[in-house]
Amino acid sequence: MSHGNDQQGSVSADLRRRQLLKMMGAGTAMALLPNTIASRAVAQDGATKGGVLRLAAPFNPTSLDPVTSGAGSDHMVLYSIYDTLVDFEPDTLQPRPGLATAWEFETPTRLVFTLREGVKFHDGSDFDAEAVKANLERALTHPRSSAKGDLQSLKSVEVLGPHKVALNTSQPNTALPLILADRPGMMASPAAFEGGDRNPVGTGAFRFKRWDDGAVIDLVRFDDYWDEEIPYLDGLTYQVITDLNTGLRSVIAGENHFAYRLNPQQKLVADRVGDRVVVSSAPTVAVYHLVFNYGKAPLDDVRVRQAINYAIDRQAFNQAALMNLGTVAQTMLPPDYWAHDEGLNEFYTLDQEKARKLLAEAGHADGLDLEFFSYSDQASQQRSEVIMEQLRQVGINCRLISASSAEMYQRFMVEGQGDMMMVLWTGRPDPVQGFLFVYGEDGANNAGHVPPPPELAEAMADALVGQTQEERKPAFARMEKAALEHALSSEVAFVPGIEVYSPKVGGYEPNLLGKPKFNRLHLKN
Amino acid sequence: MRMIRLIGWRLLQVVPVVLMATVAIFALVQMVPGDPAAVIAGEYATADNIAAIRQELGLDRPVWLQYATWLGGAFQGDLSDSLITGLPVLDEVLRRLPNTLLLAVLALLISIVVGVPLGILAATKSETALDRAATSIASLGVAVPNFWLGMIFVATLSLGLGWFPTTGAVPITQDFWGALHHAALPALTLATAGIAEITRQLRSAMIEVLSSQYARTLRAKGLSRASILWKHGLRNVSLTLLTVIGLVFNHTLGATVATEAVFAIPGAGSMIVSSAVSKDFPMVQGIVFVLVLIVITMNLIIDLLYVMLDPRAAKK
Repeated sequence: MSHGNDQQGSVSADLRRRQLLKMMGAGTAMALLPNTIASRAVAQDGATKGGVLRLAAPFNPTSLDPVTSGAGSDHMVLYSIYDTLVDFEPDTLQPRPGLATAWEFETPTRLVFTLREGVKFHDGSDFDAEAVKANLERALTHPRSSAKGDLQSLKSVEVLGPHKVALNTSQPNTALPLILADRPGMMASPAAFEGGDRNPVGTGAFRFKRWDDGAVIDLVRFDDYWDEEIPYLDGLTYQVITDLNTGLRSVIAGENHFAYRLNPQQKLVADRVGDRVVVSSAPTVAVYHLVFNYGKAPLDDVRVRQAINYAIDRQAFNQAALMNLGTVAQTMLPPDYWAHDEGLNEFYTLDQEKARKLLAEAGHADGLDLEFFSYSDQASQQRSEVIMEQLRQVGINCRLISASSAEMYQRFMVEGQGDMMMVLWTGRPDPVQGFLFVYGEDGANNAGHVPPPPELAEAMADALVGQTQEERKPAFARMEKAALEHALSSEVAFVPGIEVYSPKVGGYEPNLLGKPKFNRLHLKN
Repeated sequence: MRMIRLIGWRLLQVVPVVLMATVAIFALVQMVPGDPAAVIAGEYATADNIAAIRQELGLDRPVWLQYATWLGGAFQGDLSDSLITGLPVLDEVLRRLPNTLLLAVLALLISIVVGVPLGILAATKSETALDRAATSIASLGVAVPNFWLGMIFVATLSLGLGWFPTTGAVPITQDFWGALHHAALPALTLATAGIAEITRQLRSAMIEVLSSQYARTLRAKGLSRASILWKHGLRNVSLTLLTVIGLVFNHTLGATVATEAVFAIPGAGSMIVSSAVSKDFPMVQGIVFVLVLIVITMNLIIDLLYVMLDPRAAKK
């Protein structure tokens, strides 16, 4: 901490001069002057400039190349380095301009973007339509691309002008704008494509300086950022601290400023500390759910899947595993979210009688044994045990098998082992993405690769046709209903986004996606 | 001459030990279920995706060939590259090892500085309240898991009193005092087991010496208690002490795994854990290989010190 202070001093002195000149030029009241000189520079909205924000990062990123990034937890670093073509409103996930200032579906299968002018990559090259084309084509063709699934329908990219680009799709896909608010829409400098996973060059508010694997990632402010107001900070330092309790302690002790993606248990600890930290708990679209392999017995029988849904006491899970800070779930879309049908909030409620009856009808009156896959960390084990106990009460006995997330994922989703797995679906900006991933025939989280029931398939296709949220809404209601009726998975609870930060940190705004962005943060005096 | 022969002989013995260690580590990592290619491919990988990565990394080759390739490189000083990050293993090891070594050495120093006087005190005041207090502390040090103790230290000495940082490490080449300040609490945590071990062993060895017949003779000769203790007693327990110090160091090196996690120190211990979880076997292999070399070197030094302290040891 103490190392950076001298540097900050000189930076803010310089900013102060610039700020003064600006203010004088604008004819601002001279009465403000003494104050301004006395304190550090103050940006237009009252945020101070300067300082390096230190974050306790719970994960070492899998990659800092958005195309090869393999975990939904990488975003917290990626969003600082890369801008996305489309941005989203933090509290509603409505699309808003990002690197693209406007977009329009010329036809249902042709989406035209108007790009922001004057945007530079960190390497000094210009961001333009050619760069967009190069990025999207790379996402489609890179052998390790994790974006292929999201961009399945993308057929070709046409450069219409330096700042105009058209995306042609094989079928209507109105989810594209919000898909491009995620990793596929993060624009990297084409000159740096060869740099691989560890030399990211984007257009974002911070540019990459250093990544000591598993230890620290240093980003520094990008002086030529297109939005002149930000970044307020001189840099971001991510300290990789995989133990959440240790990460939290580092913030309480004042060594780091900000810890994100904490568990509800840590909120209780932070609450006890009093005013040494600020605790933020906000709803997200991330949901704990049980995904089923319904490509094989016994979960190929809808009655068994429904029985599981009736056997789960979602409220009790929320209480036991999430300290009552989560929100009970029915589908992958949370209550109060634009795409969710509130009429479905009571679709499955705890009904052990019904569960037993359904099991008996399916021929499992004497009980049923299931292989339950989970992760080996303590919190995952605890969550799994809550579910196992609830299922045991209706005669479903689970054998818990757990290992690291990557391994369990491979065994369940790729090799088809096991009957069900408890997964955290971290959510995506567009609501259709989750349904395609989990229920689509080629969906990566559809372990049995069973085609979706016709009414679900139709509804998913329709959800990609409507242009506005109002137009798309009915299709989402049908999707949710079909998924529930067929009990294709069992959504248990939406997790709260829990962040703990120093009172010195200003400008933090949680988002519904549950993936904090740090571009607009500042450090107070 | 005898010394040189001894060193040569011991160095020769090192070769099969190191070889066996690498085979054992390799076999263990292979036995852990899972696939590094799946880790690299990430959450939404397809089977094709994983197969392509496996081929790219040479993981589709027979296991013995993978091992032989690694070993060939290791003999030329090339510990190959991490499967997950593609970074040279040696660079990563050298980046993290100093943090771990600092912890281990500091913990050893604390163990000696506290354990030796405590052991002597317990032996000279044997069967008194002082002795019982010292042995109780020693038993506690052995019984209490150091990751738990680490958290207690953090809660009281760091968060409560603010004397020490709670997390992280500072490279010793950058800031000597800063590095020591950061390492102090984790080293103290690690040292509790060492203090206990040294106190207990030194106490019993010293009691044995002090109650021996020659000690009685010395007393009969009219030597003072202090002179018997410092001149004769200490010299006679020095071999035991040396053995214990060697064991404590090696054990401390292993114990850093849990302590580094509690204090978020980017050291070799935490590196083994994260690499083992992602089945990054060149990384696990590389770091354990270097640790084995350190342990063997330590043992060699201890052996040579034996010979210097007690010439009879060379004949054995």
